[in-house]
Amino acid sequence: MNVPGVTETTEAVARARAGDNEAWGQLYKEYAPAIFRFCRRALPTREDAEDATMEIFMKLRDKLSQYDETRSFSAWLYRVAANHCWDILRRRKIRQDKETEDVETVPLEHPDPNQLDKLIEQRTSEEVREALHKLGPRARMALVLRYYSDMSYDEIADELGVRRAFVGVVLLRARHELRQALEGTAALAAGGTP
Amino acid sequence: MSDPANPVSPAGADRTMDHLDEITCLMYAERQLDRDRAQAVSAHAQECAACRTLLRALERESRLLTRAMLEEDEPLPARLAQFHARSQHSFQWIWGLIFGLAATGLYALYTSFIEPWMSRLEQAGLGGTSLLSVLISQGAFWKGWQSVITLVEILAMLIVAGFAAVIFRRRIGRRGSALALVLTSMCALLGLPSPAAATEFRHEDRVTIGADEVIHSDLFVAGGRVRIEGTIEGDLIAAGGEIDVTGHVTGDVLSSSGTLIVSGQVDGNIRSYAGNMTIRGKIGHNVLIAGGDVNVDRDAVVTGSVTTFGGHLTVDGQVGRDVLAGGGAVSIAGTLGGGLKVRSGELNISSGATVKGPVDFVGDHPPDVASGAKLASPVHFEKMKHGEDDYRNARYYMWRVIWCAAYILFGLVLFKVMPEFSGECVGMAERYGPSLGVGLLSIPGVFVGSVIACVTIVGLFIGVSTLFLLWAGIYFGLVVAAAAIGQWLLGRTRESWPLIGRMALGMVLMRVAFAIPKVGGWVKLGAVIWGAGAVALAVYSRLQPKLPTIQTTTVQPAPVATPAL
Repeated sequence: MNVPGVTETTEAVARARAGDNEAWGQLYKEYAPAIFRFCRRALPTREDAEDATMEIFMKLRDKLSQYDETRSFSAWLYRVAANHCWDILRRRKIRQDKETEDVETVPLEHPDPNQLDKLIEQRTSEEVREALHKLGPRARMALVLRYYSDMSYDEIADELGVRRAFVGVVLLRARHELRQALEGTAALAAGGTP
Repeated sequence: MSDPANPVSPAGADRTMDHLDEITCLMYAERQLDRDRAQAVSAHAQECAACRTLLRALERESRLLTRAMLEEDEPLPARLAQFHARSQHSFQWIWGLIFGLAATGLYALYTSFIEPWMSRLEQAGLGGTSLLSVLISQGAFWKGWQSVITLVEILAMLIVAGFAAVIFRRRIGRRGSALALVLTSMCALLGLPSPAAATEFRHEDRVTIGADEVIHSDLFVAGGRVRIEGTIEGDLIAAGGEIDVTGHVTGDVLSSSGTLIVSGQVDGNIRSYAGNMTIRGKIGHNVLIAGGDVNVDRDAVVTGSVTTFGGHLTVDGQVGRDVLAGGGAVSIAGTLGGGLKVRSGELNISSGATVKGPVDFVGDHPPDVASGAKLASPVHFEKMKHGEDDYRNARYYMWRVIWCAAYILFGLVLFKVMPEFSGECVGMAERYGPSLGVGLLSIPGVFVGSVIACVTIVGLFIGVSTLFLLWAGIYFGLVVAAAAIGQWLLGRTRESWPLIGRMALGMVLMRVAFAIPKVGGWVKLGAVIWGAGAVALAVYSRLQPKLPTIQTTTVQPAPVATPAL
């Protein structure tokens, strides 16, 4: 898993683990913007993202001793952030049954590739981000984990607590929801065979 | 709908099928299909323009999503940019406050309790250079104490090392292995034979050491009636209904008896738990008595100090150093070379009495001092408080805050050192009934068991250690109870700092409740029982064998290169 815009700083991590405040500050400076953007994508409001970023770094400081140096620091960092954000969303009493129902009812038919192409061409990144916030928590989190954190299907399955085989379905449904949000209509998502 | 676990149906590999479904295309585009299925999809896409277009569209959509996600649209808010420095500063301030208050609490603990008690024990002949040796009466109770202390010290170090090993188990191996190592070491050391001392044992209904008999070693004696008329060139360790020492003991006298009468000469100390004790002879060092009435007769000479806990004390003879008494009435008619410290109901100093040191008396009524008594200084009298606190005094509240901070710091350390176990204890505390029940049984049970273990020299270390563990467990229990109360008020959490915050809140509320007159003591008792029970349950839970878990691994499909579409 690669972390966008973040360089591994093994030495700083080692010093921060040894209690070096300066090294910890360096890590914070380096990773906080990326973690904030992650939270901004995953959580509904900017205030939520700011609070979550602070909480994640406070948690990181506690957990730094548990970090396995043989693994990627940024990957570990994003796992912690994902856990934290998903916990926040779950605490807000997400209705899992409702989500599951949504997943079951959205069809898995062949969409119209031309319409899809057209939609992609017409949309800007900003519009996509705005549409992202119209999605349900799990759909949004799945997209963020996949396309922001570049997590594998196994890692996403682990984070969301679903079977790996189901991750593709969750992602596909999320993309359908996103298209609906972008279009303002379910026409494309309902799709049709050419 | 396609089976997500098998996105490419048998028909998917068939070139005669109409089209691939979208999920198959997505998983193919994201390289999540295994090699065979990916090849089948690739082959189909080579011939099917619609599916090829869909695959391209999905890939473009993925790129759009990734670009939209990664775009650095918002800078880090100023609030977050300053967060690190501010939180650092904030934590330093909180830590400084807590450590300062806790240090004050420790100082108060030392000056209020430990130092006075060490001083008293030293005066009673139980002086030592370390708290451990003071606590277990170095050299006073047993000839073999020195070797026992060495063993205790080794075991104490092993326990510390064991705890360290458990804490850092991730680095040195599994917890079970570390624990097993420590326990095995302890058992091996306990199994080592202790150096044998020269001793003689007598056990009869009536034991008499004749006037012309000389015992050239320590004497262990037990009987209904024990008379020592001869000479013992060592210690006398005696248990019996009535013990009468008219002869000469060159060492110490250690006894537990209904009545102890010493008319002869003891060159060392007397340590005794006796119903009643009378001293008529000469004692070379100190006298420490716990039990009933003590009478130091007119002809008696105690070179050292006299310390009593229990019934009445009457001193008609001579005491070379201080007299410390706690319990019933105290009457002084003889001569004291040192001071007199009494905490009891009554103090009478007769006209023939001489006290060459200060006289401190804490009691219900002022002392009765005869006009002819010779005192080095006026009696310092302080009225005894019976569980009453001065709520109008600001110091009372200040010390409450300090102690509360000390408890919170104690809890903080425990929760950081043993986060998992602490969490388990708090979880157990939420099971109110079992925790209270187990606490109610385990506290007296462990205490009685420890006392029983202490009876024999072999079990002494285990007994003393268990008592210390019980003592620590009670304090830990209070912290656990506080955390459970905090969880109840603010909601459950398994995270470290939020849990510590809840513990701090619960502790503050508990300390406030403890301060309520008459009710506070019962609240504290309940909290101790509840918390200690939760700790006991958590320990029990940890000791239970765990069923082996089957680990499942997911095999990542081999990546397949995206075909040129």
